Amino acid sequence: MIETPTETPTPTPTAKPAAWRGGWLVLPALLPTVIVLTLGLGSALAQSLGLLPLVGETRFTAQAYRDVAASGALVDGLFVSLALAAVSTVTALLIGFTAAMLISRSRLGGRVLGALVAATVPIPHLVGAAAIGLLLADSGLLARLIGADPGAFPALVAGPWWIGVLGEYVWKESAFVALVVLGALASTERDLDEAAAVLGAGPASRIRRVSLPLAAPALVVAGSISFAYVVGSYEVAWLLGRSYPEPLPVLAFRLFGDTNLGARPEAMAVAVVTVAVAAAALVVGGALLARVTRPR
Amino acid sequence: MRKRTTRAGWVSRLQVGLLGLAMLSLAACSSTTAADPGASTSSAAAGFAAGTAGWDDVLAEADGQEVSLWMWGGDELGNAYVDDVLAPAAAEAGVALRRVPIADTGDAINRILTEQQAGTDDGAIDLVWVNGDNFRTGLQADAWACGWAGRLPSAQYLDPADPLLLNDFGTPVEGCESPWHKAQFVLAYDSADVDEPPASLTELFDWARANPGRFTYPAPPDFTGSAFVRQALYDVAGGPEKVPADPKDAVGAQLTNELWAQLADLAPSLWRGGDTYPRDVTQLEELFAGDQVSFTMTYGPATLDALVADGTFPASTRVLPLTGGSLGNASFLAVPANATHAAGAMVVADLALTPEQQLAKAGPGVWGQYTVLDLERIPDDVAASFAALPPSDVVPPFAELSEGADPELAADWVGPLDDGWRKSVLAGR
Repeated sequence: MIETPTETPTPTPTAKPAAWRGGWLVLPALLPTVIVLTLGLGSALAQSLGLLPLVGETRFTAQAYRDVAASGALVDGLFVSLALAAVSTVTALLIGFTAAMLISRSRLGGRVLGALVAATVPIPHLVGAAAIGLLLADSGLLARLIGADPGAFPALVAGPWWIGVLGEYVWKESAFVALVVLGALASTERDLDEAAAVLGAGPASRIRRVSLPLAAPALVVAGSISFAYVVGSYEVAWLLGRSYPEPLPVLAFRLFGDTNLGARPEAMAVAVVTVAVAAAALVVGGALLARVTRPR
Repeated sequence: MRKRTTRAGWVSRLQVGLLGLAMLSLAACSSTTAADPGASTSSAAAGFAAGTAGWDDVLAEADGQEVSLWMWGGDELGNAYVDDVLAPAAAEAGVALRRVPIADTGDAINRILTEQQAGTDDGAIDLVWVNGDNFRTGLQADAWACGWAGRLPSAQYLDPADPLLLNDFGTPVEGCESPWHKAQFVLAYDSADVDEPPASLTELFDWARANPGRFTYPAPPDFTGSAFVRQALYDVAGGPEKVPADPKDAVGAQLTNELWAQLADLAPSLWRGGDTYPRDVTQLEELFAGDQVSFTMTYGPATLDALVADGTFPASTRVLPLTGGSLGNASFLAVPANATHAAGAMVVADLALTPEQQLAKAGPGVWGQYTVLDLERIPDDVAASFAALPPSDVVPPFAELSEGADPELAADWVGPLDDGWRKSVLAGR
C-alpha cells in the first residue's frame, strides 16, 4: 500500500515563537525610540496647539500655526530649508557616488580617498561648521592667504547663496553617501563589472548598466537620510547662515528662546512642521526604494 | 591692513555650542538627586527669605552644597573670574561653585520654566546671571525666590536709593535678585579708520552713509544688538523721557515706525549692504578684529581693554563718546524658586557682593566689571584700592562713561522692539 500524502506539511509551529523572540531582541532599541518619539513629538504637538501653555489658559487652537504662517517666516523658512536640503543632497549624491567609484576602481588613490572619506564621517557637524567658518569667513584663513582687502572677499559665509552652509553639508554628506554605496557594492559589483568588461562593455556603460543599478538602493537610502538630516539640522545654518530667511530649525529655536512666553506655541508649530517635512522626505525615500528594488 | 586671528571667537562659540547640545540632551532627563545630602527645599534658605531664619542658618545649610551657576559663557574673562577667583573663595565658605556656560541667558529661563511645568522641585539651576526681560519673564511665572537679596550681609554696602539697583529695566527688583555688576552700553571705533568720531547716533548714521559697508550691528534678539536698537530709539525720540512706558500707545507706535524707517534707510549703507547682519556680538567683534568694519559695540566696556591687550582688537580702538549719554544697567544673580541648593546659592551671591570680590572683579586684567557697591559705604582701604585701579587708554573711567546715562527702557518694550526689527527692517526689505 502506498501512502499518499494528503496534505502539504503545515509550516512548523515554532515559526511564530521564533518571530516573537526576534521581537523581544529588538525591544531594547525599540522602546526608547518609541518613548522619546511619542513623548517628545506628542508634547511638541500639544504645545503647538495651545495645550500645555507656560502662561495663560489652556485652549485648543491652531492660532500658532496661523500666526507663524502669516508672518511669512514659516513659508520663507520652509523654502530655504527645502532648497538647502535638495541642493546639498543632490550634490552629495553625485560626489559621493563618484568617490565610491574611484575608491573601488583605483588602487593607491582609492585607498587615500577611502581613508579621507572614513575620516570625514565621524567629524561632528558643529566642528565641521566651525572649521568652515574659520576657513571661509570674510576675514578667515583663505581671505588672509590670498590677502583679500576688507570687503573684497566673496560672501561665502552668511552670503546670499549659502555657500558655506551648502559646502559643509556637501562635504559631510558626500562622505556618508560614499561609505554607504561602497558597503552596498562591496560583494557583487566587482564580479559583475569584470564580467561586463570581458563581454566588451566600456567604462561608461559599465557604470550606467552595472554599478548604478546596483548602487541605486543605497543612493536612495543615503539620499533620504541626508535630506531629512539637513531639514532638521540647526547648528550649521546657525553658524554659517544669514539673519533672514532662517531655516526651520533656526527659526524654531529662536522662537523657543523668545522672552515672550507666548511665542512658545509658535516655536513648537515650526518644530512640528520641520518634523513633518523630514518625515515626508523619508516616506518618499521609502517609496523610491520600493521602486528601485522591485525585480524587473 | 591688519590681520588678526579671530579663532578664539569661533572656539569659544564652539564650546558654548557643544555644551548647549549636551545640556539639551540632559534636559530630557530629570535631575532627581534624592540622595543628595545638601539638598533640601523646606529650608533655612526659605526661612531666610521669609525673615524667619538667620544668616548663620543659611551658612550652616550651605556647607557642603554644590551650587550650579548658569551664566552666559561668551565672555572669557568672566568665565576665568568665576573659575579662578569666585569659586575658590566659595570653596572656603564650604560651597562648591560649578559654572555652567550657556549660549543665551534665555536658555536658563527656559530650563527653569520647563522644570516648573513638570513640577520639578529639585531644579538643576541654583543661581543665574540675569537681568532685564529674562528677569521679568521669570518673575511673571513666579520662577524666582524673592525677599532674600536685601537681607544678605553684604547688601549693607549698597546704596538703598540707587535707581539702577531698585529697578531692572523698569521691573522692581524687590529682593528677587542680588546685584552683581553695573554696565554701560558703549560703541567703540578704530581711530585709525575714523578721523572725526561721531558724537551722536545721527552723526554715526551719517558717517555710515559716507563710508558704506564699514558699520553694522548684531541682529536682535542678540542682547547687544537689541541694546543698540533701544539706543537708536532714544535718538529718534530725542531722549529717554520722551519714550512712553507702553510700546502700544499712539506715541510709542509712531516712534517705532520712525525708528524702523530710519534703520531701513540706513541698511543699504551697512556691512553687506544690510542684506544680512552679524548673528551676535561675537560675530561683530570678529568683523571688527578682521578690519571688515570700523565700529563695534558692547554692554561690557571692560572687555575692550582685554581684547586690545591680547591683540584681538587694534591698539587704536577707542570708546565713542556720545554726548547724549548711553544706556546703563545693572545685572544680577537670581535664585530660582525650585533651586536644589538655594542656601549655597545665597552664600555665593553674598560673596559676589563683598567689597573684596567686587574689587578683584573690577581689575582690568580680571574682568573689569563696574562695581554695584557705594564706595562711601565700604571700608576705606578697599575704597582706596578701587580709586587706585589702573586707568585705561581705551575706556574712560565709569564716572565719565555713566555721566548722563540713559535708564533702560521698560522690559515691555524689549520683545516688541526685537520682533518689530525683524519684521520691519530685516524681513521688510
